[in-house]
Amino acid sequence: MATRRGFLASLLAAASLPSLGWAEAGSPSHLACAGDPDGTFSLHGLRSDGTEAFRLPLPARGHAGCGHPTEALAVVFARRPGTFALVLDCARGTVRRRLSPPEGRAFNGHGTFLAGGAVLATSEQATGTSEGVLGLWDVEGGFRRMGEVPTGGVGPHDLKRLESGQVLVANGGIATDPTDRTKLNIATMRPNLSLLDPLGDGVAEVTELSPDLHQASIRHLALRADGTVGFAMQWEGDPDVLVPLLGLRASDGTITLAQPPEAEARLMQGYAGSVAWSGDGIEVAITSPKGGRIQRFDAQGRFLGHASRPEVCGIAPLGTGFLLSDGLGGLLALQGDEVRPLARAEVAWDNHVVTL
Amino acid sequence: MRLALALTLLATPALAGVEEAVNAWILPGVAAFAESAGTLARSAAGDCTADALRPAYLAAWEAWAPLADIRLGPSEAGALSIAYWPDERGAGARTLRGLIAAEDPAGLDPVAYAEVSAAARGFPALDLLLGDPDLSGYSGGSYACRLVQTVAADLAVQAEALAEGWQAEAQALTTAGAEGNAEYLSPDEAFRAIYTQALSGLEFSADTRLGRPLGEPGTPRPTRAEAWRSGRSLPNVAASVESAVGLARELADGPIPATEAALDQVHHAEAAIDDPSFQDLADPTARLKLEILQQRIRALIDAMEAEVGNPRGLQPGFNSRDGD
Repeated sequence: MATRRGFLASLLAAASLPSLGWAEAGSPSHLACAGDPDGTFSLHGLRSDGTEAFRLPLPARGHAGCGHPTEALAVVFARRPGTFALVLDCARGTVRRRLSPPEGRAFNGHGTFLAGGAVLATSEQATGTSEGVLGLWDVEGGFRRMGEVPTGGVGPHDLKRLESGQVLVANGGIATDPTDRTKLNIATMRPNLSLLDPLGDGVAEVTELSPDLHQASIRHLALRADGTVGFAMQWEGDPDVLVPLLGLRASDGTITLAQPPEAEARLMQGYAGSVAWSGDGIEVAITSPKGGRIQRFDAQGRFLGHASRPEVCGIAPLGTGFLLSDGLGGLLALQGDEVRPLARAEVAWDNHVVTL
Repeated sequence: MRLALALTLLATPALAGVEEAVNAWILPGVAAFAESAGTLARSAAGDCTADALRPAYLAAWEAWAPLADIRLGPSEAGALSIAYWPDERGAGARTLRGLIAAEDPAGLDPVAYAEVSAAARGFPALDLLLGDPDLSGYSGGSYACRLVQTVAADLAVQAEALAEGWQAEAQALTTAGAEGNAEYLSPDEAFRAIYTQALSGLEFSADTRLGRPLGEPGTPRPTRAEAWRSGRSLPNVAASVESAVGLARELADGPIPATEAALDQVHHAEAAIDDPSFQDLADPTARLKLEILQQRIRALIDAMEAEVGNPRGLQPGFNSRDGD
């Protein structure tokens, strides 16, 4: 009991500290989770030149995270099935809160701040049915659970807050076993993109792709300033069938699918792991760690070119181009056709790089 | 599924093995392939009939087979349209029959042919055109004859482009870790890249080159073997194995006795197989011999991992194997 009281006391102490901004955390531009050579895991704050602003240990493998818009707070989500999320004070290097999903819910790896940072929204699924919910947490009230709204689909993954305050959710469509991520409904899965107003009426407006693409799991999202969203997909159907792995959703809801040339499509191995817009918003790119490949498209979904990099997955805007991270510890800048190494760390960068 | 490996720690500079693998194996291989593909195209221009062309076609396969599983740099996309296989949906045969029926002008123009579906280009296309009884009886001057000339010319162009592309890839591999090398950030990455090709080639041979015609017990699928019409099914497996071990010898610091012993076992299993096209798989003895070869190749993978990969700290990929 002494231990537990001590832990609560330190939480209270932390909560009463004045909030610090990102400058106090070394002014990182990006966050990334990593696996360390000794088998442990960590969260890294990265500057735009690839140098490290901070590094904090994690208790287990992380997936993605999100940064608070003003305070130096990062929320890091465990890899699925997610039993915890950590709120990290990146300036002081301490754990501010450990969030556990309510009974019957599991975190699905992604989250975002709403209402200027007053609310945290977390992508979650019901452990029994995989039905999606957006968990809502009151940030100023010490990350108290406020409630939840349905996401309008099964197996939600990434989510993005739009300028309107609405949230776009990628409902991946895959029902999973609550303990081991075994996929249960591949034959009948129906992914969708859903638009909801979690702090308002909460009713989801759902868009599905054509029925022949019902096995293309919509998993990751990238938002451009004008509201255009790039969505990355993972094909669960016949591997010999080539399908688009990138779609674009215009702010009026119109969907365009991006189709690369045949050989390019095949080399992605049916898998897009991350998606990002270039810093200037002119290009959108997807990565495939399975194919060790990055594909660039224009905003109309026309194929522009590729780059190769083993184990590449993380991608984010950097300057006018892109930042890439990979499982070999590489951080690279991608500008047009050109790849330039920034740094190589003795870590394996995890699936995503989050822009602050 | 191709293997993917990630390198952890260990920063011993090992460009020696990489340089040898590139200079002693890969570069001479792509040059020899470009030459035999050129010979094939010239032979086709001279006499396009199936019987006349077959020796040059088989010689080109012989040159390609050791390179078939190396999927680095220009070979990543290049291999797909040189030897697209397996063609699960029969797209190659469908496209070729369609071209012939329509006498499509794309089939007469090697430049336009580069836009045709990968399944109807390169070796698989020639395997059908020269080996399928319905297709191979064409006469000199027919559309099919000119299509064969086009496919051979397109293959020669691809082989030339591959050899040229490999000059830059060889430079990138052998200067791994140098300032400004964006492809390989350290010598370890170049080692890992080549080692991965060797292992995934063996895995592809065991799982797909042998696994696909074996099918399920009781339902062999001999016509799912690679290039069975040309009798190349077993020679392609053998070439893939020799290439993988050849690369491993270059990469390793010293002798690799367990790998050599495992290779001997593979050779014995290969020698026991009667039909190099695997068309006798309905016979339980023939089936067993193929299964034994499959097991021996898997044992070779284990030996290579233990002797070549593990000492360098190579382990399965962090992101490519995980997914989310």
